[in-house]
Amino acid sequence: MSAYQNMDQMTGDFYTQKFEAAKQDGTLIINMGPQHPSTHGVLRIVIEVDGEYIVRAEPVLGYLHRMHEKMGEVQTWGGFIPNMGRVDYGHAMAWNWAYVGAVEKLMGIEVPERAQYLRVIMTELNRLTSHLLWWGAYILDLGAFTPIMYAFDDREMLLDILQRPSASRLTYSNFRVGGVQMDMDDKCIELIKAFIPHFRDRLPMYHDLVTENIILRRRIEDIGIIDQDMCRRYGCTGPVLRGAGVAYDVRRSEPYSVYDRFDFEIPTQDSACSAGRYHVRIAEMEQSLRIIEQALEQLPGAEGSHIVDKAPKPAMKPPVGEAYFAVEGARGKIGIYVASDGTKTPYRVKLRAPGFSNMNAFAEAATGTILADAVAILGSLDLIIPELDR
Amino acid sequence: MLQALAGIPTQLVARQDKGTTGNVWSVFLAPKQILKTARKLMEAEYSLEDILALDFNEGFLVLYHFNRWTIDERVTLRVLVSRDNPVVPSIASVFHGAEWHERETRDFHGVIFEGNPNLVPLLMPAEDVDVHPLVKSAKARLSIKEVLSLGEIVSSTGEIDALFAEAEAGEASDA
Amino acid sequence: MNEFIQNLIPLVVAVVGSMAWLAVNALVLVYCERKFAGHIQRRPGPFEVGPHGVLQTLIDGLKLMGKQLLTPDNADRFLYWLAPILSMIPVLLLFMPIPYGPVLTGMEVDLGLLLILAFSSFNGLALILAGWGSNNKWGILGAARAVAQTVAYEIPLLLTVLAIAFMTGTLNLTEITAQQAGHIGNWFIWKQPLAFIIFIVAMFGETNRAPFDLAEAESELTAGFHTEYSSMGFGLFFMAEYGYMVVICSICSVLFLGGFHGPIPGIEGWWWMLIKTYALLFLMIWARWTFPRVRFDQLLNINWKWLLPLATFNLLATALIMKL
Repeated sequence: MSAYQNMDQMTGDFYTQKFEAAKQDGTLIINMGPQHPSTHGVLRIVIEVDGEYIVRAEPVLGYLHRMHEKMGEVQTWGGFIPNMGRVDYGHAMAWNWAYVGAVEKLMGIEVPERAQYLRVIMTELNRLTSHLLWWGAYILDLGAFTPIMYAFDDREMLLDILQRPSASRLTYSNFRVGGVQMDMDDKCIELIKAFIPHFRDRLPMYHDLVTENIILRRRIEDIGIIDQDMCRRYGCTGPVLRGAGVAYDVRRSEPYSVYDRFDFEIPTQDSACSAGRYHVRIAEMEQSLRIIEQALEQLPGAEGSHIVDKAPKPAMKPPVGEAYFAVEGARGKIGIYVASDGTKTPYRVKLRAPGFSNMNAFAEAATGTILADAVAILGSLDLIIPELDR
Repeated sequence: MLQALAGIPTQLVARQDKGTTGNVWSVFLAPKQILKTARKLMEAEYSLEDILALDFNEGFLVLYHFNRWTIDERVTLRVLVSRDNPVVPSIASVFHGAEWHERETRDFHGVIFEGNPNLVPLLMPAEDVDVHPLVKSAKARLSIKEVLSLGEIVSSTGEIDALFAEAEAGEASDA
Repeated sequence: MNEFIQNLIPLVVAVVGSMAWLAVNALVLVYCERKFAGHIQRRPGPFEVGPHGVLQTLIDGLKLMGKQLLTPDNADRFLYWLAPILSMIPVLLLFMPIPYGPVLTGMEVDLGLLLILAFSSFNGLALILAGWGSNNKWGILGAARAVAQTVAYEIPLLLTVLAIAFMTGTLNLTEITAQQAGHIGNWFIWKQPLAFIIFIVAMFGETNRAPFDLAEAESELTAGFHTEYSSMGFGLFFMAEYGYMVVICSICSVLFLGGFHGPIPGIEGWWWMLIKTYALLFLMIWARWTFPRVRFDQLLNINWKWLLPLATFNLLATALIMKL
């Protein structure tokens, strides 16, 4: 059966027609996407504009839907890990971690200390790459072409580092139930140690080049207000929530792994606007550097103790039960719910994508702004479309 | 006992082991109570994490995960609806973010959320609204007791226990 | 009749010359822009075709010509194809009255400045037609922006030019250049600094260049007015854009920077004009690759709330000083 049933076959697809039914006089309905330069992939937003002012907006998802949750139900527990790298190409490590964390909870596996630290280091490095990618792309959305090249300069170095222990550059899947797949060699640790001061030097340049620019500030300050009330109603997390002044970070509020051993701040901004979210992410990069630095100092154990002895095989059989595990991704709280019936395939895997909830708040935040602001708001939510659609 | 839910008629409230499930409170509710409960949780400053459904022999078990920003105390609301008439009242009027989660659950399992302002396909194509990929085949489907465990029961009206009680009896007979 | 032919020959030579100048400029300028942008972004820029990629733009132009010309369904065919031509043709005329050297002037026109301002307005019309004719919603939004923007930014541009005309008492560009002869101190930039700044800002608005490229605004309107154009339809808009850039930078050099006169007496020639024009062009390129795009209402606010009052004030002050 089709959802079209009661619609006359005019122009546009189901969503356009449905949207058009409530159209006011004298407005224009435009489809922003699925192919649009600033929707970063195949997100589609149907927008009703009065001149350039947005009257209504409705995101249409699903263009990149791959049904990861179904794939989870037909694969072995271990065989599902590579899917995690493909849910969110920006911060794949955090998704890896959320999934293996949930399975470890179910199985009651205690991960070796060294593996915990390696996970922290790699996830934080990956968070840096994610924020750098966002930063460059956001400024690109706002019309400045150059900063993304600078961001990719640094991101390239990070990818080279992450390539060593994970053997991939984007869609990482090197976490295993019970640890990580490969240990970090000395060369890798050396590279990270060299990268930290280098990046500390670069951050002020980013500020000088971009953050203080008057055009940029006028474009993002007081634009796209998503306040605490909205965050609660829509379930926004991550930099969106912290940009609204709530110091909520899963690493601190629901501490997992060894995050309680590090000294780091949770940057917040009270402005609740795009600029607030911008500053939160920039400040988070510094905090990630701090965490990496401390983790490298404390890194325990001998090389090779990066996974539990007798690590479970991919076709493992966790005991009957359910588990929910949440980690802090670059975009917010990543939550994975798994239910096991005691066989080698999961009974149910549910992926909670932070971008999904953040995007949900877009329509309300964008109503009443102008078209150019919609781009500024969309960018400030830091969307990774595969993660929205899963 | 969970303060926020005082005054709500629940079917079963259980405390779960956070270390192994990541969840603290597990609350079974009748479908008609869900909206009222959502309002209570909104007042108690909970925020919605996600909504999902599980397919069991007894029907669809719809799960709502809630958590608070200040205290880490995950609350899972569970609503069991029959397979023939899977209708749950929508909580999208309270938690606006629930709209998309409910649409997604409708796409995957075919659970209807009554009162959702826009219950059209979200992730699945509009051309086939009857395809629900996560509905299991009769062969693969299990009973609720074969997958979930209750935890430490705090209060109960008995109807949910009955679903689990057989399991214990069955295990006992196996032994 | 004889006299007519005598007048016609230099005119034809000038038109052909300015066509060649425009084409060469477009090639060189696009190459320069890409190379310059590359270096701003810490990469080498085009490098493969020819030594240091000098032939890249030529190849790109050939590739563009080889593409299929598409007309969208339900587009207004006539307006759709009129627009790029209307955008391109006036550019050729605009080069006529600009004195590039002591003898290198296409045609000395008494009302040269007026002619340039009048014909350059055609571009706004072309953008509207392109957006309207292509039956595309993004195109219409781009066209709407183009109207508001070009109309707005023409006014401060005119007012600053008028201030120069008040000072010199002429609209003849050769005459204006002649009045700046001698050393660098005679350049009008010193007498009209405010007008110079306003002119520079309005210049970005007039030519639709970043940070004021609102009519195209790639990340907002996909490509604005030229969303639907392919092949040389797009190519003509592209050439015209670079043509207008060269024209407006040439005019800026003539009005404020002494035209073909050098900074010290005695050395004058077309190369000065070339250096000054290209220096201004590089300024425009530099700005494009550095700044984010302003928002549309902010763009108009800059014009109506700042440039226009300042330009008016500048004009009145000039008039007052001239009167005294």
